[in-house]
Amino acid sequence: MSNDTLTHSITFTETPATLTVVVDPTPQITRGRAVVVERRRPKAAGWSLLQGLGVVVDHWRKSFRKLEDPTQIAGTFTTEYPEERLPLPEAYRNMPILLFDDATGHELCTSCFQCQRICPPQVIHMTQAKDPETGKPVPAVSEFIIEYDACMSCGFCAEVCPFDAIKMDHNYELSTADHSSLTVHKAGLLRPVSYYQSIAPTFWAEAEASAYKKLEANKKRRPASIGIAPQMIEQVKAAHKLGDGQPEAASPPAPVATAPAPDAGSAATPASNAALATSEGDLPTDKAARLAAIRARNEAKKAAEQSASPAASAAPTASDGDLPTDKAARLAAIRARNEAKKAAAQAATDPAQPAAEGAATALATPDAPLTDAPPAPATPDAPLDEKAARLAAIRARNAAKKAAQAEEE
Amino acid sequence: MITTDELQINIGPQHPSTHGVFRMLITVDGETVVNLEPVFGYLHRNHEQLAEVNTYLQNMPYTDRLDYFNSMANNHAYALAVEKLAGIEVPERAEYIRVMMVELTRILNHAGAVGFMINDMGAWQTPLAFGIREREKILDLFEMVSGARMMCNYFRFGGVVRDIPDEFIPRLKKLLIAMPAYVDELERLLRENEILLARSEGIGILPREVAVSYGVTGPVLRGSGIAYDIRKAEPYSIYDRFDFDVPVGSVGDVYDRFLVRIEEMRQSRRILEQIIEQLPDASGGHINPKARQNVRPPVGDAYARVESPKGELGFYLVSDGGPKPYRYKVRAPSFINLTPLGDMCRGYKVADIVVILGSIDIVMGEVDR
Repeated sequence: MSNDTLTHSITFTETPATLTVVVDPTPQITRGRAVVVERRRPKAAGWSLLQGLGVVVDHWRKSFRKLEDPTQIAGTFTTEYPEERLPLPEAYRNMPILLFDDATGHELCTSCFQCQRICPPQVIHMTQAKDPETGKPVPAVSEFIIEYDACMSCGFCAEVCPFDAIKMDHNYELSTADHSSLTVHKAGLLRPVSYYQSIAPTFWAEAEASAYKKLEANKKRRPASIGIAPQMIEQVKAAHKLGDGQPEAASPPAPVATAPAPDAGSAATPASNAALATSEGDLPTDKAARLAAIRARNEAKKAAEQSASPAASAAPTASDGDLPTDKAARLAAIRARNEAKKAAAQAATDPAQPAAEGAATALATPDAPLTDAPPAPATPDAPLDEKAARLAAIRARNAAKKAAQAEEE
Repeated sequence: MITTDELQINIGPQHPSTHGVFRMLITVDGETVVNLEPVFGYLHRNHEQLAEVNTYLQNMPYTDRLDYFNSMANNHAYALAVEKLAGIEVPERAEYIRVMMVELTRILNHAGAVGFMINDMGAWQTPLAFGIREREKILDLFEMVSGARMMCNYFRFGGVVRDIPDEFIPRLKKLLIAMPAYVDELERLLRENEILLARSEGIGILPREVAVSYGVTGPVLRGSGIAYDIRKAEPYSIYDRFDFDVPVGSVGDVYDRFLVRIEEMRQSRRILEQIIEQLPDASGGHINPKARQNVRPPVGDAYARVESPKGELGFYLVSDGGPKPYRYKVRAPSFINLTPLGDMCRGYKVADIVVILGSIDIVMGEVDR
């Protein structure tokens, strides 16, 4: 068949007459052309077999030549695997690992959840660390789990990580008889930065500056030993004791972390509130005030949501009496919380306009003592915290207002 | 005169020659195949529905697993579809890198396909070892750029993951210098081989009318004598800049498909040489579009197709404006090329079925999805 017959159109003869389809899928080939492959016949019987055998013999002959590197073509190149290994390219990716800073032990991960979100098989799970004192999330990760058994090594996690905290490891010898060990927890995932630098020097050189800059910023927001790799904690503690004598740096979390959170909807509110009041007594003023304000806001929100339950009205005001008077800011905030609760309860029992307004006015009062509250004596950064407390109280009031409005509707 | 009965037998689903889990329900009269019915679905992995719960980017590594021989080509087709849908531009250098990877994929696929086909003929392992020798070198190159040998996941919407490292081009040049000798050697070993001719000449003829009516594409269609190559018919990416020929067969049998594949390896090498000549330097722009993680294409649909080493690989996407495709459809060349298997095998012997199946060059990962 020659070239020109290829452009002929095709007519289907077997299709029904009404549906005669004429198809010519051959495109106009501009650069290059259609070449018909040549069908060769052997020159003589057995010739081709000899020719093929020649190729094999040629290779056998070449196989005695030992090659230095695997990119060469003809010859033998042998790597005696368990003893020696071929160098892997930097881009090689197998399983994700987490990095921590060699010097300070701080993990680079800030639990931004980017990798968890992008992971196609959804094998990354993480929990953000919380400040044990305030309960606020901090830029550190408390638990990080990767299911290595379901990971598809696509490398998206390392690609999206804005902090260069998650990288792809080069270790490919992961086989194990223990399946459960393939669910790897944080301690098993963490590797020092120096390790990653050794396997991918140019990649790390590109990322290093921004990674450390971001880490420095995040370190400041990590209280106590949060965000330090478990394998480095002892070392870091020892260094602190030896160096500037600050054993508190890695002190255990304050007892408040274990205190039960107040629940507006439950009948046990008075008891838990009392517990709260006593445990708060141990805390420094500024922090306690802030905490109370935050709780107040949360209570107000919760109360609004659960306002139908009569238990909310049982919120006590008596516990306030136990508190020291100089902590005016804290008191004000707690009052704000209680007022909000009350207002919400009122709104629930009597959903008329005055109730909502009553809540608003009741909430307006705590502002007065707050504004001229004396600064807490011991702490140098009291004004700032006072401000924060006030801000929180205002926010609580606004939340209560909003709740009241919602109730009205 | 002995009267014979027709007999129904199964080849597969677990059979070494079926390239995966694939069942052929054949009706035989003695040794002659009267009818053959391909039965697919044993490797169904819910690929298309899975893609509809993933974001656009999350689907990229799953496309690697369609035709696991040619993950780069699959990535290319999917990236083109999303780029068409979202109107994303690709920098010049990234286009060249993409085409470079896809053409390398074509070489390694055809080298493997030829090897496996002859393996199916009964030439146990030796020709296959010749076939996959160069494949190994190409896989090393893939590992260097993407980090993985087979599941490359190298393409991104609007570019590729990272620029090629400095040592890539010298190694590619080294490979291309050795290429002609390698293909010649493969030809010397096999092209005129009498056993191969006896097993492939006039076997599994797919007439061009039948091929077109089934929608067969790729080397199988070209083996049947139709010079249809999407790189020429609808030049996507930057294929209009390269000078290369389209090899076609004249009979449409197993032997023609084999020859077409060998010739296509040479043409791919030609394209690669032109790429190295034309490759713009890295100043052309950012080739790793990190910002396009959350692509939200406007409401609409798009179909993008590429000439994958096995045929026309197309992705059809429908967007509802969200971060996930509303509909995701794969037009898999292996699947469509496998459907005329019954027509190709009818009238031949049972032993030919395996050879014909090998000449279609299927990957069950793509057939069943």
